[in-house]
Amino acid sequence: MSGPTSRLRMLAVAAGLFGLAALVPRPAAAQGSVVIYCGVDEAWCRAMATTFEKQTGIHTDMTRQSAGEIYARLRAEKDNPRGDIWWGGTGDPHLQAAEENLTQDYKSPQLGQLRDWAQRQAERAKFRTVGIYLGALGFGYNKEDLARRKLAAPACWADLIKPEFKGEVQMADPNSSGTAWTMLATIVQLMGEEPAFAYLKRLNANINEYTKAGAAPAQSTGKGESLIGIAFQHDLIDVAKRNFPVQVVSPCEGTGYEIGSMSLIRGARHPEEARKFYEWALTPEAQKLGALNRSYQIPSNTATPVPPEAPDLSRIKLIEYDFATYGSSATRTRLLGRWTSEVKNAPR
Amino acid sequence: MMRVWLGLAWAGLVVLPWYGLEAPLRAISALQPEALPALWQGRVWLWPLAIPLLMAIPGRPRLLALSGALGLAWLCIEGLAIGHRGWGAPWLGALFGAPGPTQPALGWGAAVYALSCVMLAAIGLARQGWCRGDVFVLGSLLLVVGLIVLFVGFPVVSILTSAVRDNAGGFAPDLFAEKLFNSSIWGLDCLVGTHACGVAWNTLAQATLVGVLATLLGLAFALAALRTNLPLKPLLRLLSLLPVITPPFVIGLALILLFGRAGVVTNFLALHFDIPRSRWIYGMPGITIAQLLAFTPIAFLVLVGVLGAVSPSLEEAAQTLRAGRWHTFRTVTWPLIRPGLANAFLISFIESLADFANPLVIGGNFNVLSTDIFFAVVGAAHDQGRAAVLALVLLAFTLTAFMAQRAWTGSRSYTTVTGKGDAGLSAPLPGPLRAACYATVLPWLVLTVAVYGIIMAGGFVVTFGRDNTPTLDYLWTAFSIERGVGGWFLSGSGWRSFITTMELALIATPVTAALGLLTAYLLNRQNFMGKGAFEFLAMMSFAIPGTVIGISYILAFNVPPVELTGTGLIIVISFVFRNMPVGIRAGIASLSQVDRSLDEASQTLGARSFRTLRLVIVPILRPAIVTAMVYSFVRAMTTVSAVIFLVSGEYNLATVYIVGRADVGEYGVALVYSAVLIVVMAAVLAGISAVVGRQKIGRRGMLAADQPVVVQA
Amino acid sequence: MQPAVEFRAVTKRYGAAAAVDTISFTIARGDLVTLLGPSGCGKTTTLRLIAGLEHATEGQIRIGGKDVTRLSAAERDVSMVFQSYALFPHMNVLENACYGLLASGIARKRAEEMARSKLALVGLSGFETRLPSELSGGQQQRVAVARAIVLEPEVLLFDEPLSNLDAKLRRHVREEIRALQQDLKLTVVYVTHDQQEALAVSDRVIVMNAARIAQDGTPRALYEQPASRFVADFIGDANLLPVTVRRMDETMAEIRLGSLALTLPHRGAANGSAELAVRPQAVRLGEAGGLPGQVLRAAYLGSHMEYEVGLAGTAAELFVIAPDVSTPIPAGTEVSVTFDPAGLAVVPGS
Repeated sequence: MSGPTSRLRMLAVAAGLFGLAALVPRPAAAQGSVVIYCGVDEAWCRAMATTFEKQTGIHTDMTRQSAGEIYARLRAEKDNPRGDIWWGGTGDPHLQAAEENLTQDYKSPQLGQLRDWAQRQAERAKFRTVGIYLGALGFGYNKEDLARRKLAAPACWADLIKPEFKGEVQMADPNSSGTAWTMLATIVQLMGEEPAFAYLKRLNANINEYTKAGAAPAQSTGKGESLIGIAFQHDLIDVAKRNFPVQVVSPCEGTGYEIGSMSLIRGARHPEEARKFYEWALTPEAQKLGALNRSYQIPSNTATPVPPEAPDLSRIKLIEYDFATYGSSATRTRLLGRWTSEVKNAPR
Repeated sequence: MMRVWLGLAWAGLVVLPWYGLEAPLRAISALQPEALPALWQGRVWLWPLAIPLLMAIPGRPRLLALSGALGLAWLCIEGLAIGHRGWGAPWLGALFGAPGPTQPALGWGAAVYALSCVMLAAIGLARQGWCRGDVFVLGSLLLVVGLIVLFVGFPVVSILTSAVRDNAGGFAPDLFAEKLFNSSIWGLDCLVGTHACGVAWNTLAQATLVGVLATLLGLAFALAALRTNLPLKPLLRLLSLLPVITPPFVIGLALILLFGRAGVVTNFLALHFDIPRSRWIYGMPGITIAQLLAFTPIAFLVLVGVLGAVSPSLEEAAQTLRAGRWHTFRTVTWPLIRPGLANAFLISFIESLADFANPLVIGGNFNVLSTDIFFAVVGAAHDQGRAAVLALVLLAFTLTAFMAQRAWTGSRSYTTVTGKGDAGLSAPLPGPLRAACYATVLPWLVLTVAVYGIIMAGGFVVTFGRDNTPTLDYLWTAFSIERGVGGWFLSGSGWRSFITTMELALIATPVTAALGLLTAYLLNRQNFMGKGAFEFLAMMSFAIPGTVIGISYILAFNVPPVELTGTGLIIVISFVFRNMPVGIRAGIASLSQVDRSLDEASQTLGARSFRTLRLVIVPILRPAIVTAMVYSFVRAMTTVSAVIFLVSGEYNLATVYIVGRADVGEYGVALVYSAVLIVVMAAVLAGISAVVGRQKIGRRGMLAADQPVVVQA
Repeated sequence: MQPAVEFRAVTKRYGAAAAVDTISFTIARGDLVTLLGPSGCGKTTTLRLIAGLEHATEGQIRIGGKDVTRLSAAERDVSMVFQSYALFPHMNVLENACYGLLASGIARKRAEEMARSKLALVGLSGFETRLPSELSGGQQQRVAVARAIVLEPEVLLFDEPLSNLDAKLRRHVREEIRALQQDLKLTVVYVTHDQQEALAVSDRVIVMNAARIAQDGTPRALYEQPASRFVADFIGDANLLPVTVRRMDETMAEIRLGSLALTLPHRGAANGSAELAVRPQAVRLGEAGGLPGQVLRAAYLGSHMEYEVGLAGTAAELFVIAPDVSTPIPAGTEVSVTFDPAGLAVVPGS
């Protein structure tokens, strides 16, 4: 039987648990709220959400997912959207969402202050999206590992298919990662489709894993789980800044880039708040948060200072990336299908 | 009684907002038309809902039952026929003209109306003498069945229907066949060529391997614990609890830190023995080790029970009949524990099939069904049809194994405990077997300790294995508390998900336990038609892998009539129906130890079944109730597979957050967070068992902790 | 006056098998009636039908003149003492005793008062705060009785109440139950498989066999005038011997058993062959003047002797109880067998 003491203890345990739950910070009478689907690094996402909330009093609900996942989510929820604004993540899925009418057109008064690639991004999407940052693709290698193995440092895309790198290269799966899709599209634009697939097939033999998230190969390379990782240069820089022995490489043949974008979701439940966030996110003040949170992309507002860590665009050979073609659903579906069947599921 | 429910039903129609579960108050204050009660909606198809209520006349039980049934039926028909964008099915459009009327998702009014209809039907049937005229029994039976149908049956059916549709929503059986027999699922190329095998074969191979190895390891541990002098028992009991409170994927994480290409062990071997670094751990080997670490304790618990039940006198008898140690083991002990081995194998097999987190973290390019389902949904391909097909295949596998396990344990158990006076000493193990046991058990213990050491400590150093400087940075990142203008606030990145998880788990826990035990009570104490089917349905949710639940909930509850995605409610519901079988099992185990005449005594003393349940059964079952609550709480805290589909911005969960961190390589935060979870849950377990430990009433301990509890991730 | 319990052609089936097959009986107010029979005869099912723990498939059950066939146990004015006592292990003695009163909506204070008085009646004053697990078997049984009678039910049911007690206590407790029943003028239905217990406490015994009533009567009637060979054998052992009946008048007949001729009530038996029930105590083993036989086995039981005697010219073996222990008859002795007419009864319809 339960004596009074044991009953008390049970109460105490329950009270403790509920006490913990009561600690949850609940915004007092929030000035509305906004649901943000955030496609960049967690820390940056969090900084954006909390700073916006602090400055406006608008309650923020932020979910961080990869751009591909958010795009999939938008499609799943298109009958009944849950999110209000999609901030960040590589531009292609934004363009696709625009093409599928999942996002809302909007012309910001700040549009004129943006760098031209950001404005072009908006024009391509009939103003259903806008560029917020630019990130160049590249790869990185683990310096310590390379020295230990006494291998020549890779400098070009072509180097990655050398036999000595068998099982040493990591990239994300373009089916789930915008980063990897940018890489796929870049290679196709650099080489032409057929040679590109021949290249990718040979690269496949050297790939040790197709990760889900685009930034994962950078992390793996830093930790030494992979010798080479294909990723955006800013992700690699971030890892290197954390004292991991990563050398960032801008491929000699030239490389593609992403335009991180922002879109208002069509049929949003909080359109007013979403628009407020949109305008705020384009200000230099908001864009500065990237570098403060170890994201070293090039911000889109000309008034935002370019972080010193960001890759120097003058020393990177950027290709003429055809966003119109490679941002369209048709091309994407076709190339992804081809890649999945001919490359990913090919004999290893 | 009847008047109360009838009144509630009217309230559901006339007073409560018919549409919209979320923020009904806001909707009312904004005077949105959706927030109006059904009869003021101006939607004609809602008016017939009042007819059954007019039919419900006291003293006419037949009519009452009929009215409840009719109300429910019309609610389902109109809800499914008229969607938020017109007719719910194309043929309706063809018949009545597209696009047809629209309506949003059902709300509180509809919920109250449905519940009242169920109760009116129950009262009507009880007055006709069903279930010995017991309204409570009949009402809870209908309610439980209704809930299971809505939250287990309907989602599973949704998988089926979306499997036979193309992504535009059209009926496409040929596409279904193509998807079902796709070579990426069933391909056998790995046997003849160099292509990878289909994901179904991968999954089966993985599960079989883990099933066999977990059973053997579990046997080695059981033999070592019961038949050798190693002082292992207390240690093993502790270790067997670990997987219950360990978030399922951290084991994979720890293995990477140990054996990854840059892992501690790999580094050591490379430095001192020149063994080249490789990524062997990614893929089947890593999944196997991680799953073994997680599931061996379950196999161990099953086998310790079986081995302990082998009467020593049988072995003594064999020895007096001149059988040697080896002969005794081979001819007596082994055949007696064989059913237990099969059971252990099947449980580990099911667990491995359903495991999602370890393949996700350490699987590399080795695909299994559970992760493929996930990627089919989240990937840019976003092929819900394919996800549904894969889910069907996985469901078929687990259900088959589940039924095999039930059939096996039902028919083949040699219980050799014959009561008291069965003294005697178990035969010592044959020498070689003992050596084999030691050789398996001791290294495995070392591995287990190493893995858990890394989980607990790995988050408190800068980079485990590379830079072992102690740091609290990760803890601070996840769980910092800062002082701002408005006082202290929780600024760490993990707080939000941690608190949400706690809240939702705490909400789900009592509901899970109550529903589980109510079901156990119905199954154990009441007789009614279709009891077998009911039991199967209730226990089936045990065999449905979390990924399948997750995908099915998305498919079933994203659009009206029942729209729950993005709410905390859907997470709570998934917790409840995934963990309810734990409560059912604990409840049935304890109830069958409680003399039925206690209920009968209470009844003959004038107490109806609800009062009997409340005053007699519940107090006696308190230990079982607490156990069920603890387990459902802990499982809710650690589950990831189902909820990874269901989390939203507002309701993110700890495990999903950790998986996300691990996914981008932030192992420090992931490990710190996992360690915090483990400590919190260990504290909960220890606290509760200290409270309950002394409350066993007369009988032997009824804690389900003594029984293997299947822990699906 | 309405009978306390009335069964009208009640049948209870489980699937195809009938546990109780078309039985009818009435139990008068203030009577203690025993349902007696071997295990599986349907007596416990009958008791549970009265309690409402089982519901009849066919027929009607009335308690106190009211049709209760469709009422649940909680709605019937009946209480029951269970074989296992079914004391609630988490409640103390007083809480157990109060349970039914509280369930019927009586205020706690009043309920405790009533419960205390009944506990005093069964001699358990001072045990109120004990838990059932802290009581002896006999005490637990009394709590169970107190808990049942505190409701002052129309009918009180006992399901093998003595089976968990040791032999010595059993006799004592059964006397107590009988005394209590007489004092409080309770109507009691009592189930047992022990015929001695049944004969000792009952006003009336209903013997059941194979889901039907085999005989319904006073203990004396059952013992002295068994209605069937089943009853004759089940109540107090009987040797059943084949006899020839020749009716002489309305009540008496001449019974021929081998060379012996006896004059006994024919009890409805027709001319021709019949069976005679012979109680073991009614057999006299003497020197001469009876049927020739031989002692096959002899056993000394302290208070009496038990013999098995073979009758010459037949395969029949008689089981005999003789009070004389001072001059035992050794096995192998030839004896002459005679009968005490008080221990003989013609079994009709056999």
